[in-house]
Amino acid sequence: MTNDFEVEFIEPGERSARFLVRGVSPAVANGIRRAMVADVPTFSIDTVRFVENSSVMFDEMIGLRLGLVPLSTPIGDFEEGDVVTLALDVEGPATAYSGDLESADAMVQPADENIPIIELKDGQHLEFEADAVLDSGKSHAKHQGGVSVGYRHLQRVEVAGDAGEFEEQEPNILRGVIEEAAAEHADADADATDGDLVATDAFDNDLTNRYPGKEVEVHDVPDAFVFHVETDGSFSVEELVLRAAETLGDRAAELESKVAI
Amino acid sequence: MELRVIDKTDEELRMEVAGEDHTFMNVIKGALLETDGVAAATYDMNPEQSGGQTEPILSIKTEAGVDPLDALGGASRDVQTTVEDFSEAFEAAAP
Repeated sequence: MTNDFEVEFIEPGERSARFLVRGVSPAVANGIRRAMVADVPTFSIDTVRFVENSSVMFDEMIGLRLGLVPLSTPIGDFEEGDVVTLALDVEGPATAYSGDLESADAMVQPADENIPIIELKDGQHLEFEADAVLDSGKSHAKHQGGVSVGYRHLQRVEVAGDAGEFEEQEPNILRGVIEEAAAEHADADADATDGDLVATDAFDNDLTNRYPGKEVEVHDVPDAFVFHVETDGSFSVEELVLRAAETLGDRAAELESKVAI
Repeated sequence: MELRVIDKTDEELRMEVAGEDHTFMNVIKGALLETDGVAAATYDMNPEQSGGQTEPILSIKTEAGVDPLDALGGASRDVQTTVEDFSEAFEAAAP
């Protein structure tokens, strides 16, 4: 097997990023994508013990909302099934926010401080203790670390000729990332060189903006995938991708050792 | 992951891989198809609602002289190196 991977970041970011991977087979690309969604565990509140809940919502509804609050999940320090306790005590009139949750473990904190849990009116009181469990997205969607994870082929745009001179040009909408192969015709971008990676938002997703008056051909680049990865804040994109790859590797190692017996 | 061999001859293997889903099965199938000496490899999986066999079943056919279990071992080795290479390349490129 040849494994000449080339990774290039197109839009780097902590919680949302786009990157290109060359030399990856569709099976592996999809394996990594699926692992990011379902196999990388994150902490999420699973059990709530209410001390007092005089808000307008039932305990169960508040429990559901709490489960959806992303909690930071540090690498390596926890195993699946580990429990961290969090507590909240808010008296109205006030809004209980995710930031009001107090964690027993400094490493496991709400990823965002400003997620409203419930608005409390005068005299209403919400107090509870909750257990957050480390589990994977396979068991419940609230444990998904990757919120929006997908990929597209890298697309190569070539100019095939001129568009009909007196015809009104139809918009040619394309989304994703293109690999420049006709830089001399890219009128809108004077510094374009062949091989450039250009996100289609740069020309409003319309190829006629970039190559006015030209007939273009779009081809998928084989084995080159542009991943778009967004996390819920439990960890960075980089950690998510690496952990997803690790879970695949771990399973392959398990299979290898079991086959050897 | 629990393995249960259903059929095994010198050049054929049918095996249940309990606890896995498309995520891993498709990756290992892809690696098997690129392994030398493997004539055919596939897996079959039924949805949970089908009521029958729902764990994936991996089928491998090899060319004469190649043990399908060895081929599977080699393929899982390949998956590991692929994943390691990918992680390395990714880390190197990360900003």
